[in-house]
This record gives sequence, C-alpha cells and structure tokens, in this order.
Amino acid sequence: MSSTEIVEKYEPNFQAWVEQFAEWQTRIGFDPSWLGDYRFDIKFDWDSAGDEIEFGDFEGMPKWERRMQIPQQSVRDAIISMISVQGDTEFGSVEQQWHLLDSAPTEYDRKSALRIMCEEQRHGWQMAYVLCNYFGEHGIREAQKLLERNSAANPIRGEEDRPRLLGSFNEPIDNWLDFFCFTHFIDRDGKFQLKMLSTSSFKPLAASMGPMLKEESFHLGTGANGLRRIVKQGVIPISLLQKYMNKWVSTGLDLFGVDESTSAQWAYVYGIKGRYDEREAGIPADREHLNEESRMHYFDELAKEMERINKGRHEGQPELFIPSDKFHRSVGKYVDIRTTVRGEPFEGDDAAWEQYLDDQLPNDEDVAQLNEYFKEEWIQYREWKD
Amino acid sequence: MNTSKKSGFNTESGRTEVVDMQAFALLNVNREKLRPFFERVPELFAAHHHHSSQNDAGYEELLYRVYRPYSENMLDMIDEWMGHEPRSWRKEVDREVMLMLYAIRYPDTLLLESLSSDAGSDMKRISGYLHFMHHTYTIWDEDTRKGLAKLGFEIPGSENVDAFVYGAYISSIELVKELAPFTCFLEHDVPRQRLFQAALAAYGREN
Repeated sequence: MSSTEIVEKYEPNFQAWVEQFAEWQTRIGFDPSWLGDYRFDIKFDWDSAGDEIEFGDFEGMPKWERRMQIPQQSVRDAIISMISVQGDTEFGSVEQQWHLLDSAPTEYDRKSALRIMCEEQRHGWQMAYVLCNYFGEHGIREAQKLLERNSAANPIRGEEDRPRLLGSFNEPIDNWLDFFCFTHFIDRDGKFQLKMLSTSSFKPLAASMGPMLKEESFHLGTGANGLRRIVKQGVIPISLLQKYMNKWVSTGLDLFGVDESTSAQWAYVYGIKGRYDEREAGIPADREHLNEESRMHYFDELAKEMERINKGRHEGQPELFIPSDKFHRSVGKYVDIRTTVRGEPFEGDDAAWEQYLDDQLPNDEDVAQLNEYFKEEWIQYREWKD
Repeated sequence: MNTSKKSGFNTESGRTEVVDMQAFALLNVNREKLRPFFERVPELFAAHHHHSSQNDAGYEELLYRVYRPYSENMLDMIDEWMGHEPRSWRKEVDREVMLMLYAIRYPDTLLLESLSSDAGSDMKRISGYLHFMHHTYTIWDEDTRKGLAKLGFEIPGSENVDAFVYGAYISSIELVKELAPFTCFLEHDVPRQRLFQAALAAYGREN
C-alpha cells in the first residue's frame, strides 16, 4: 500500500540548497520554463518503508528515523555515501541528456525525455533533502557537492577534478539511440539500486524509494519502447543497433560494482542496502557475493526484455542479443579477460583485439552512418497524449 | 471528474446519489481491501490484457495508429478492436464525436453531456474512443466495474453515456493508481490506466 506524504514546508538548510539548485540549472543550460507546472515535491512513502530493520546485524530493531539513532559513525558515513551516489546520478543524467531535447524525433519523445529529466531532478531533490535534513553540516556539504560535480567536467570552468561519481554518468549521450539505450540499460540499473535501498534500515531513505521507483518505471518503459519502435521501423540495421547494445550492456553491468565487494557486505551488515529481492528471497544472503547476485538478476532481466524487443523485428532480420557478461568489462573479475561478445575466449594479439573491439562497438564511421539514418523516419511514430 | 459543479445536478436520474457516492468513495478508501489486489496487479494484468479475447498485439498497435488529425477510419479501427458492430449513426454524429474528442481534457467528463442521443447511447464505445485518443481515460467495462466494487468503489452500471457515472469510474481508477505501491507499476507498453483497468477486470471476474 502506498500512502505518500508530500513535504509542504522546507527547513532553511534545504531552502538555501534550492537556491543553489536554480543556479545549477542555469549553469548547465536547462531552462526552468521547460518544467511547465511540474513541481519538485519531496515525497515519502512511510508505509512501504517498514518499521523494523529487515536484514543484517541489526535485524529486528526499529528502523532509524534520525541521525542520532544510528548506532555508529561508520554507519552514518555509509548512509551518506549511498545517498550522495544516488543523488549524483540523478543530476548527472540530466546534464548528459538535456541537449537532446532539440533533436527529438517526435513530440512524444521530446515530452517523454523532458518528463524523465523533471523526475530525475526531483529524485536529486529528494536525496539532497534527506542529506540536508537528517545529516547536519556533513549532509549539507554533500548536498552542495551534488550540484558542483559535472558530467561534462569542463577544464575552462576549473571542473576537471569534479566529474560525476560513476563513470557512466560522465559519458556523453550524443544521440537518441544512446538516450534509449541509457534509459533502458542504465536507468534499469538505477531501478535495481532504488529497490535495494527500499528496504534500508534508515527509514527516510527507504521511504524515499517507493515514489522514486514508481516514476522510474516510466523511464525504463521509455527506453524499452524506444528500442522496440526502432526495431519495428527497420531503418537502422540490426548490426548497427547491436553495437550499441554491446556498448551499453557492459557499462550497465559495471555499475553494480566489484565482485566480492566488502563495501556491499558492510552495507548489508548495517542493513542499509539489501538484495534486489530482499523481501521475496526467503533464503539467507550470500554476503560475500552481493554485487554478483544483483548483477545476475539484472542480466537475466535484460535477456527477457531483449526477447520483447526482438518481437518487433522485420522478417529475415537477425535477432538482437545481450552480449556476454564477460565482454568488455571495466569492473569485476572479467576486467583483464578478453572474450567475444558471445563469451568465448578471444584468440589473437593486442592489435587483433583492438580491431575486434572496433568491429563490435560503435566507432566514428558508425556514428556518421547513424546520423544519416536519423535524417529518415528511423523510429515508429507515436503521438503524445495528455 | 469535475465535482466542483456538484450543486447543479440534483434533479433527475439519481445524479445526486452518484455525486455523493463519488465523494464517499474517494474519502473513505478501505486500504485493507486494496492490499490483496495490489499484491497481484502484475499477474491480474497479464491474465486480462494477454488473454486471447483481448488481442493484446492489436491493442498495442492501436496506441500508435490513432493520432491527430482523427479520422473515421480510426474510429473504425477502435470499434473493431473493441468488438463493436460498425456505427449505424449518421456522418454528422461522427463529426460531433470527433469535436468532443478534440475538446475534452482529462479528467473532465462533463463534455460528454454534449453528445446527442445517438452517440450518447453507448458508453463502452465512447470510452474506447476516449481511451485510444487520450490514453488517460479508461475503457468502460463491466468486469472492471465489478473489480472496483470489490475494492469498495461502487459504480452504478449504465449502457448510456453518463458523465457522472463515467467520471466516478475514471476517478476511482485514478485513485487506485495513486495508492498503488511501486511493485504494481510494470514496464509495459501500455498506459498506466490500461494497466489498472485490465488488472481490475481480471479481479472483477474472479468469484
């Protein structure tokens, strides 16, 4: 059951942050008038947050509702870190994507992207609110940093040492195919992270997740529908689309973090971040392989989604596929292992490997070709309905 | 549903009752009754939307094939998916319906009062047009009405277009959507109103 509280009055700390937020919008080029009558409400679903700590070493104790109830400084620091990373991705994605609004293939896509950007900013507000309201000076400083880091860190503005915290949120989103891949693959990782935090021992964090997850489902749907509409239209060749799948799947898998992660284990011990299926699992967690398990759930979900995307392809077209979880990884145990997109060991020297990557991932030639396709009716038309 | 004009409708056909019922339903939600439904929304949605009687592929195709400027052919396509006989009314009635479809804005339903008796004689047909042209309006369906009743939202039955009954219907579904936890929100290529309407229909059919 969802019973959402919308915060009506802000404390001065957060009010001051809101003013800085307006400056951030101006700095990155996001015109506030695009928001129309959209409001950045702070929403808590206290019912779904639960009253008792659900896992870890504090299991069974009341969930913490205030900073001073949190038993150790190390736990507080870990919670602040989780919230900061989550907030950082929300603002990072807007920085990466807003420039696409001018080149949207249809009004439906422009409005969908704008809605996503509004909601990502709201999620960023939510995280900043929790930092400012529950974590004193430390939280206020971390909330400010959410607006100081930049996905397109610009040396001219002295930002070269202040990129977004996660690599994917510093990558340029150059075109609408990247946008649909990002919302399908990277926002899906976001959904996993939000769900893992929805059972958190820190109740304001857990209560933030329900409303955010409701909104996130639209973001994922936009990505999946976008890819389905592209496949259905049949203008962009499957072989070219596959290269983008290869690029974004490996990025999405990396976002789950290192294997045998001790920080994931501590987060579980503290009850801050659970498993993706924490409430449904019914078996004890393998605390030493928490990231691996989440990554596996994510990977399985991608495979099912790809089956749905493939249903729309034209007769005679090859199937799109999810590349192996070993391919082109930058994080985890497969970092130094060279495999093909099908997961078979790669045979060849360094030069052959570089050539293979060039063949399997989008290169400059592919981007140029893609830009030509963008001049055609490359995506199935859909009308925005109010 | 526009309840702000409540005082203007108290003369006939039990409308006062309907308006009172809307307010009662919206203010007196029995959350415990909703819980078992919310726990099963994904499964219920699949049971209805993907049932062979629903032609799910045809539904999803229509989401893309109906857009402005609206045409009679689009009304035909919606009728066909809904399983209706071809319209037997005059061409002018098509135009009247189109004008209403262009002008109406969710969640208003009062504009339905402007329909003549020909167009106003079939709530299900009109709700289909509203749904595919606006998505936020829901298809009027007897099983869905029963599903709402199981959750405590008693919506009177009606074959004729009734702005207040339909207003209560869509508002109740909107409220169910608002109260639903995130686990109900599937990533599916259907509007959220369809997601809940389909789940409610499957729920309403169960004994």
